[in-house]
Amino acid sequence: MRDPKILVGFLIVPLIMFPVLGYVMNLSVQTAKESAQKATVLVVNHDLEGNSTDLINFLNRYVKAIPVNVTTVDAAIPLLSSNNATGIIEIPQDFSQNISTQTPAHVKFYTVFSGSGLFENVGSTIVSSLVEAYNRAMAPNLLVPEDSVIVKGKRVEGISPSVLSSLVLSQAFALPITMIILLTYSMQIAATSVAMEKEEKTLETLLTLPMDRFSILAGKVSGSIVVAGIGAIAYMFGFNYYIGSFTGTIATTAPSVDLVSLGLVPSLFGYLLMGISLFVTLLAALALAVILSAFAQDVRSAQSLVSYVYPFLFIPALALMYLDINSLPFWLRTIFYAIPFSQPIIASKAITMGDYLTAGLGIVYVTAFTLVIMYVASRLFATEKILTAKLRFRGLRKGKTPPAD
Amino acid sequence: MSEDSSLSVAIDAKSVVKVFGNIRALDGLSFTVSPGEIFGLIGPNGAGKTTALRIISTLLLPTSGSVKIFDLDVFKQAAEVREIISYLPEEAGPYPNLTGHEYLEFMARFTVKSKTEAHQIVNEAAEICGLGDRLKDRAKTYSKGMKRRLLVARALMTKPKLAVLDEPTSGLDVLQSYRVRDIIKRYATEKKVTVIISSHNMLEVEHLCEQVALLNKGRIVAEGRPQELKDKFGSPNLEEVFAKVVGFA
Repeated sequence: MRDPKILVGFLIVPLIMFPVLGYVMNLSVQTAKESAQKATVLVVNHDLEGNSTDLINFLNRYVKAIPVNVTTVDAAIPLLSSNNATGIIEIPQDFSQNISTQTPAHVKFYTVFSGSGLFENVGSTIVSSLVEAYNRAMAPNLLVPEDSVIVKGKRVEGISPSVLSSLVLSQAFALPITMIILLTYSMQIAATSVAMEKEEKTLETLLTLPMDRFSILAGKVSGSIVVAGIGAIAYMFGFNYYIGSFTGTIATTAPSVDLVSLGLVPSLFGYLLMGISLFVTLLAALALAVILSAFAQDVRSAQSLVSYVYPFLFIPALALMYLDINSLPFWLRTIFYAIPFSQPIIASKAITMGDYLTAGLGIVYVTAFTLVIMYVASRLFATEKILTAKLRFRGLRKGKTPPAD
Repeated sequence: MSEDSSLSVAIDAKSVVKVFGNIRALDGLSFTVSPGEIFGLIGPNGAGKTTALRIISTLLLPTSGSVKIFDLDVFKQAAEVREIISYLPEEAGPYPNLTGHEYLEFMARFTVKSKTEAHQIVNEAAEICGLGDRLKDRAKTYSKGMKRRLLVARALMTKPKLAVLDEPTSGLDVLQSYRVRDIIKRYATEKKVTVIISSHNMLEVEHLCEQVALLNKGRIVAEGRPQELKDKFGSPNLEEVFAKVVGFA
């Protein structure tokens, strides 16, 4: 407990990390609510009589309902982006007649699916609340909503946004969890690999061998990738079995949804981009771990130092697992984009929705970051800094003896 | 010094200064070592011995001054220097999860490319260390002395042009120390390996070294052949010579 590195690494980091994560989630909920309350929906009105106009006026008290002069929902879809609308309401021709005769009037609500995350349903939840409020004002179950979604500009009937969102979310867990496991394992291995050389007193001999110093660094990094990769695969097998052992027995009444036909499964090219994004992020993490471990005197210190990086890994992974980055305030969005470890998750969500540009730009950014970090790490290995980083800290403390001989 | 004469010098250190923060570990160190010589750097703790050996081994850079190993600059030609030297740190260890044999093989492959050559070198190392069947065991099961013998063997097995040995007999008992000293002498005379060692053991230095330099506070305070120094200072041993030079006696 007298070692400040351990104190900070294992105690203070979690005490900061989880409250920050909670704050981010809370911000996202607030932002989602605000967005939903300012939501815009387009109205395709086949009825055009009094009751349909009343419905539109009712909706306009809470959201912005814009009637559009088209005859089909498909014709209204292209108007969504220009109106910043997040959904389409289709009022059937017999709406007013049904309302007048107190017969249930079916109204279709199409929600744009953006693949955003846990709070994507807030918008449709608010519409549902409005429908209930309308029914309370008029008559119970008079207005019967029929939920559907619009995915990548195409209308998909009969699938509610909450079901689709849940399904996509459950699939979206895989990458962040894999990334957390892979990066934490490999960073620990890389840091331990260098620190172990110091602890076992093999580093000085190693550095005087006729071998390029960059090869030593590359060896440490690639060895860490191999070991961590095997560990991550083993972990994912076990984790999948664990999840499958109880979710497989839960009966569901939800309709089966084929994500492939909806285009919500990445293409081969998409998977390739995701792989590249994860790989360059992994390289950056490993190089960072090597740099940090150069300042450690032993394995325990190196592991503590590496744990300082975990908040930058866990917070984006855990937050973006559930959240849409675009739902965050600008300043927070900027921070997440700036953290290299966010990029694989941002990329995977973007790729799922067909946005390869975002993924590509993220890869370029992380690659540039990785090159800088690798350069710093190679300079560390190429010079006496790999040894004297320890010596210098000793010299700064009062009353300490000078470096050995 | 002429170009021709510089090639007959194994180590040429000129006005070497090394500063760590506020600490001046080496303060204008200058000495030369001839090829095939066994040279001793002796002095108390904190004198600068290990720092000097680390600079020679390209681990540290001098703050100022120059060091050349067989006319190769340790700073500008560090990679070439590493090709011809072998360094044994004072505190060194083998990889604990490798067997002694695996460790020697692993190290041999850095110096030689062919498996046959590596095999020969490893056999020689096995003979040097004298660990016999224990070479099949993992290094973490070795005693301190056994580890040191393994490491000395590793340092000498490749027959480097310059062997830099920091406290080579550290942790060894009397007989083992005697054996290692004998091997070092044999390598210097028969295999023309230049050796620079640091040691606290004055008896060992007297027995082993042809030239010694007494180091104190980063500077050489006396240098010469052991017998010459003893004669010069009227002392029976180098220990007393050192005490007289630094003003203790």
